[in-house]
Amino acid sequence: MNPDLFLQLDRVIHEKGRLAIMSALAATPELSFTELKNALEMTDGNLTTHIRILQEEGFISVAKSYQNNRSLTTCSLTKAGRKAFADYIDLLEKIVRQSKP
Amino acid sequence: MNPKWAEENLQTIRTLMERSALYRRALAPVMIICGIAGLAGGVIGRLCKLNSYPAFVAVWVSTAIFALSCSILLMRRQALKDSEPFWSAPTRRIAQALTPPFLVGAVITGVMFDGGDVALAEIIAILVWCLTYGCGIHAAGFFMPRGIRWFGWVFLSAGFALIALLCADVDLLQLFGSLHLLMALIFGGLHLAYGIYLYFTEKKNPAA
Repeated sequence: MNPDLFLQLDRVIHEKGRLAIMSALAATPELSFTELKNALEMTDGNLTTHIRILQEEGFISVAKSYQNNRSLTTCSLTKAGRKAFADYIDLLEKIVRQSKP
Repeated sequence: MNPKWAEENLQTIRTLMERSALYRRALAPVMIICGIAGLAGGVIGRLCKLNSYPAFVAVWVSTAIFALSCSILLMRRQALKDSEPFWSAPTRRIAQALTPPFLVGAVITGVMFDGGDVALAEIIAILVWCLTYGCGIHAAGFFMPRGIRWFGWVFLSAGFALIALLCADVDLLQLFGSLHLLMALIFGGLHLAYGIYLYFTEKKNPAA
């Protein structure tokens, strides 16, 4: 098996928490902070940190709005994020294919 | 690095994607309120002797609108409490899954206003409502926790049972005394029973 494939995996997405966020967002147009927190069972601090890193990388966009006088934070994948996630999945599939006899 | 890890990672990604696309609001209060509305509709229809086809349809369309309105209010309240959008992607998917079978049910109910045997028209209406509601719930169940699809099958089975009884020339009006009671039993009773079941079994955080 080609060990270079492992090195090509995106380091930002590869982290467990961030991969979970990207996976959840890939299946739906947008998710609120609370929905993400409940779906992934993360703490507020942990989720905030990972969201900030993914946002800085340009993989997700964060929108803040108000719903019945309560703040509502929603996250969604950007075009770059969707492409990076698709590339990551492609690489994983390649690794799986190559590892099979 | 172990290649087995890549396979496990893909499986985890698949699970997370499926989980995030599911509707996760508590369904027990919604089912219980629908059940109570169904039973109340049956009692009102029976006591007020609303037995003509238009009156029968009016009772049950009103009951359905009341139950739907209460359900929407309950779901909106849950969404606001959790600081989540009410009209979320899973909610939209469920509405899209429910719309075609509900539309079919509404059109067939409307077509049967043409007259003829009142009791037969009402029985066919109940039969169509059971089948279309069962199909709708089953379709919506693909975006909800797994048990909902079984609930859809229960309504489909009720519809099939009614077909079997009709084919066997069983007089349902005589058997139940009032077709309103049959409706209350099917729609009120089943929702209430499922709501009570969910109340004791539903996880506080179904995503977990």
